[in-house]
Amino acid sequence: MAGIIDLILSIIFYPPIYQLVLVGLTGALVVVIFIIWFERKATARVQRRLGPYHISPRLAGLPQLVADLIRYAFQEVIIPKTVDKELFVLAPIVATVLSILPIAVVPLTSNPAYWPIPMDYSMLVALALTTVSPIFLIVAGWASNNKFSIIGGVREAFVITAYELIAIMSILSASAAVLSFNLVEIVEAQRVWYILLNPIAFLAAFLAVLMATSGFPFEIPESENEVVAGPFTEYSGLLYGLNMGAAYMKRFAFSILMALVFLGGWSPYTPGEGILSGYLIPSLIVVAKATVLMMIFSLTRSIYGRFRLDQALEGAWRLVFPMAVLGFGLALLEAYLGVM
Amino acid sequence: MPAKPVVKRLPARRGLFAGFKGNVDAITIGLKYLVDPKRFTLIYPNEYIKLDPGYRGFIVLDPKKCIHCSSCARICPAAAMRMIKRMEEDPKTGKPKMKLWPVINYQRCIFCGYCVDVCPTEALYTVPYHDIVYENMAEMDWSLETFVKPPEHPTAKEGIPVKYIVDEEKGLVKVRAEEVEEK
Repeated sequence: MAGIIDLILSIIFYPPIYQLVLVGLTGALVVVIFIIWFERKATARVQRRLGPYHISPRLAGLPQLVADLIRYAFQEVIIPKTVDKELFVLAPIVATVLSILPIAVVPLTSNPAYWPIPMDYSMLVALALTTVSPIFLIVAGWASNNKFSIIGGVREAFVITAYELIAIMSILSASAAVLSFNLVEIVEAQRVWYILLNPIAFLAAFLAVLMATSGFPFEIPESENEVVAGPFTEYSGLLYGLNMGAAYMKRFAFSILMALVFLGGWSPYTPGEGILSGYLIPSLIVVAKATVLMMIFSLTRSIYGRFRLDQALEGAWRLVFPMAVLGFGLALLEAYLGVM
Repeated sequence: MPAKPVVKRLPARRGLFAGFKGNVDAITIGLKYLVDPKRFTLIYPNEYIKLDPGYRGFIVLDPKKCIHCSSCARICPAAAMRMIKRMEEDPKTGKPKMKLWPVINYQRCIFCGYCVDVCPTEALYTVPYHDIVYENMAEMDWSLETFVKPPEHPTAKEGIPVKYIVDEEKGLVKVRAEEVEEK
């Protein structure tokens, strides 16, 4: 009996399965349900409203998104005659899968037995994987064969070009400070959290992730009152839900990466041996930090208005890009002085 | 004479950090409301606004005061009020006599209150609520028997009466109706 339990545990906690399925898909779904509820409730508080209420008032409307998801799941998926069918169906699915993929390559513990891949260049791999999914949003816009979709896709391309570069540069500044691409070494090197050593890089990464994952006030590619739903105009039902979910999943992946790089990863806890102490607890700490980060991300929804495309791009190249360069310079200075 | 050309100039570019104070202010206000939300949503079926007595809600007839003058039916701009004939026993002579009674059709009524204003004996009066649902159109055409008693108010059975008052600091505030009446 004990042997069977050990076998099941070893299958569940086999690092690629655990990180992709449990943390990546299930964890992200739970976190996204919580985050969207928090976003709606926080925005309602700021705007003197009540937010979701009538689906279970005792839980303050927490299952509202579950109800929305059920609605999306049972809605008819309409595929217009004019679209490129294969790409139209494939693009949102591939985008969702690719946006969750960075989680499968980051370390969630310092115990080498539970690393999904060899960690020497893990940061580069994770950052490279985050850049793939936007291409499929542009593909979705192109395959839809609709002017709103194409405009949305082009906007996506503009925003991604401007902001993903900044996000990657400011996250890479940590590896410049530690002189390593190994995420485990970067986490272990943070006696003081890197956000305190290099707040400029954190702010640049924060703004860039906010823009690149098109959170509500910054959803320039799919802003409803300019281009109907951007690349997703022709989508309906589950495919539309996937498209919407992909943005949150990508934000979750970026949040985990930022929690590792800037917030010290599993920092107050030292991973030991065994599944519980070596894998489960540190990974939960990282997910909790990422959730807090996502809560701060979603708070901006209630504070800021929407930027025009030109304002967003000007902000990127005139303000945030120099900030990222400055952060990188600060990281190099810290590496020279041997702070970390 | 042709219009003079006007040289338009673009506004000067502000510095990089010109918007910094605005950002800080916006975040401060957002956090302030997040911590202390001054919300005033009416949770409708559980709460309802208690309206004042003068409110033009549903119109009801007091049959003891009615003098059968037909003024209400004449003034009604939407032709919602009409007079019907009823054979009734005259209390003085004891003989049956034809009498006119007003009835109202709420498919047509616009709640203007002219009938209440024009009534010489104040036989018509309004009740301060209007949230009543009918299942079909025929129910909205009231008979005389329905018209002589105030309609049932289902929201008042379950809901809490509230009122909105204007506060000096908070703006619009929702309070319980009893608290306002005490003041």
